[in-house]
Amino acid sequence: MMAQELFPQAQKIREGRIRIETTKDEVGTILRKLKENGYDHFVMLSCIDWINDGEFELVYHMWSYEYREHVMISIRVDRENPTMLSLRDIFPQIETYEREIHEMFGVNFIGNPRLGDFILEGWPHIPPMRKDFDTEKFVKDFYYKIPEVREE
Amino acid sequence: MRNEDWKKISRLVSKRSLWMVHFCTGCGAMEMPPVMTSRYDMERFGMHAMATPRQADILLITGYLAVKTLKRVVQVYEQMQDPKYVIGFGSCTINGGMYWDSYNTIKDLSKYIPVDLYIAGCMPRPEAIMDAFLKLMDMIDKGEAIGWKKYRKYYDQYKRNQRMAFAYRLDEVKEIKEDDAK
Repeated sequence: MMAQELFPQAQKIREGRIRIETTKDEVGTILRKLKENGYDHFVMLSCIDWINDGEFELVYHMWSYEYREHVMISIRVDRENPTMLSLRDIFPQIETYEREIHEMFGVNFIGNPRLGDFILEGWPHIPPMRKDFDTEKFVKDFYYKIPEVREE
Repeated sequence: MRNEDWKKISRLVSKRSLWMVHFCTGCGAMEMPPVMTSRYDMERFGMHAMATPRQADILLITGYLAVKTLKRVVQVYEQMQDPKYVIGFGSCTINGGMYWDSYNTIKDLSKYIPVDLYIAGCMPRPEAIMDAFLKLMDMIDKGEAIGWKKYRKYYDQYKRNQRMAFAYRLDEVKEIKEDDAK
């Protein structure tokens, strides 16, 4: 069955693009249902920082080779204390995306045992992909201030 | 023969037998295959890739370096035996290039390890790379490629800069001591 038949709340953005807005608790069910109905390719998990709304948007991207259709399942989590249940039991590759989003946005995925250092080792500041992290200021205050090696 | 003469002969011979570490980062890794293979064929200069840093002479930094990669580069560089030479490829190693405002790439390679030669460009074409190799040979022959001596002499300064970068903090030493105290 195609995504729009499975979920009546699904919006069709254009041909081959479906968007489902849902809540934290229902994502697992929707992913499982899609997986059983031909949407067997989990493409990626992405995150958007809606700083004015005080929310992060997590988007789970699914693809079906059978229907050639891209389904985006979007949820919003609170920005102050962002938590989400890990879905690595449905698709094991979600674990890696969760690690990345934990590092870049600070979203805590409960149930993922590998939320440690991933690409940034020992990063002491706020997660760098958040909108309130001033990249340019950090670069100017840090990399450009590292002293040059002085030769006598 | 005097010691100086021996050094001259040793430089003259060793410039024609340079082994490079096969360590590629960034987009310069894409420019290396044509340089190494039959199209430009750097083997005619006596250069070839070596599997281990301990037996190699040149380290090519072929593009931008994330801090995590810099840790590996420093490790590789320190494993190499003297004399050793470093070539920085492209604008990323000179001033950060298009990554000048990235939170995770270093901007000036010479703050962390001594660089004998930079190649301008983004990315340098194989012709420029070949030209740099010839220039480096010339520098070795004249005894001008002395990055490895600099690394020994200003070791504490290089180490200080590396530690700062690895901790993402300028006042890294103080902070780490405080963490230990906790």
